[in-house]
Amino acid sequence: METADRLGSGDRIELKFPARGDLIVLARLVTSAISARAGFDIEELEDLRLAVGELCLLTLQGSDAQHGDLHLELSVLGDAIEVVCTLERAQVATVPEPEGEEVARLSEQILDALVDEHGRESRDGSARAWLRKRRGGHAE
Amino acid sequence: MTEGREQDPGPLSGAAESDRPALDPVAREELITANLRLAQQLARRFLHRGEPFDDLVQVASVALVKSADRFDPDRGVDFAAFATRTIIGELKRHFRDKGWAVRASRRVQELYLELGHTTGTLVQQLGRNPTVAELAEATGASEEAVIEAIEAGQGYRAASIDASESEDDPLSARLGEVDGNFGSVEDRALLGPALATLPKREQSILHMRFVDGLTQSEIAAAVGVSQMHVSRLLSSSLQKLREGIGQAEAGRR
Repeated sequence: METADRLGSGDRIELKFPARGDLIVLARLVTSAISARAGFDIEELEDLRLAVGELCLLTLQGSDAQHGDLHLELSVLGDAIEVVCTLERAQVATVPEPEGEEVARLSEQILDALVDEHGRESRDGSARAWLRKRRGGHAE
Repeated sequence: MTEGREQDPGPLSGAAESDRPALDPVAREELITANLRLAQQLARRFLHRGEPFDDLVQVASVALVKSADRFDPDRGVDFAAFATRTIIGELKRHFRDKGWAVRASRRVQELYLELGHTTGTLVQQLGRNPTVAELAEATGASEEAVIEAIEAGQGYRAASIDASESEDDPLSARLGEVDGNFGSVEDRALLGPALATLPKREQSILHMRFVDGLTQSEIAAAVGVSQMHVSRLLSSSLQKLREGIGQAEAGRR
């Protein structure tokens, strides 16, 4: 049944919050609400919520997150949700710390298992990571 | 930029294990021991779904052992990456097998109802409306779960039969339609017995393709055969299923 609060292709929601690990819960909550409104089933919704948490962690790695913001853009594109997470106004380490890289690797491996595509980049003082997940499982 | 999706081990079927060379016991033991923390870290990621942590660690640890049994170092894939996909796949399968999705929906509804009662009690005790933290403590749920239940609960409010989402489309105008999912339920009832007649290996490949959503190439890598062979197996399995369903339908008439 179509409901008035459904999200459709082209809809985009943005969220910005202080880049702190304990606030990643905000990203997960918003992801749940958006996934439900975009027609994702509850298992896909849980996958997306877990994946967005990892995406935020990934973006925070190697940064001085004390002073930055995490900017999250969630877009409904056809039967997929795309999430882009950008760390703004923070000092991003030019030489990655080994421990941070280990955490980042785990997050990437988790994303491999949960979403269709993902990636990350770090340049010009900002870190950015993104993911895309389609409804109805991985497509060929 | 890093692209996702490396080699996917797929479900842990016996069919896949038999095609792989076994690691020597010492190397296998070392791989497992070195990655027990990984299994715990991954189990922890699934904690919010309401299963005991120990159970999740057990599922993840068994998956880790099976990963080591199925790992082929000659493929040039990092073991941790390989094991992570397997462990997450097994954790998800664990929830799926337990009918988690249905229970989760019910749990959210129940929590929403419980929050209504608890809020009333706390208002009397505190002389004011409770905070989310207080509701979480009183119900034993996490603050995140409480917020989600409140949010999801908006959808459970009883709606008037004439409440309209648009002026031209009152709810009452849409009652009495035949649910399109009935056909799907019937298809599943027919599919189950037909599926059970297929060899385990073919069941496993169908599961990887249509439940786990793996590509033919990924299945080929997991099972250790060519992509062409997977394609042929899928075609013949689907043909057998069609024939099995056809016979079942004919038998019911």
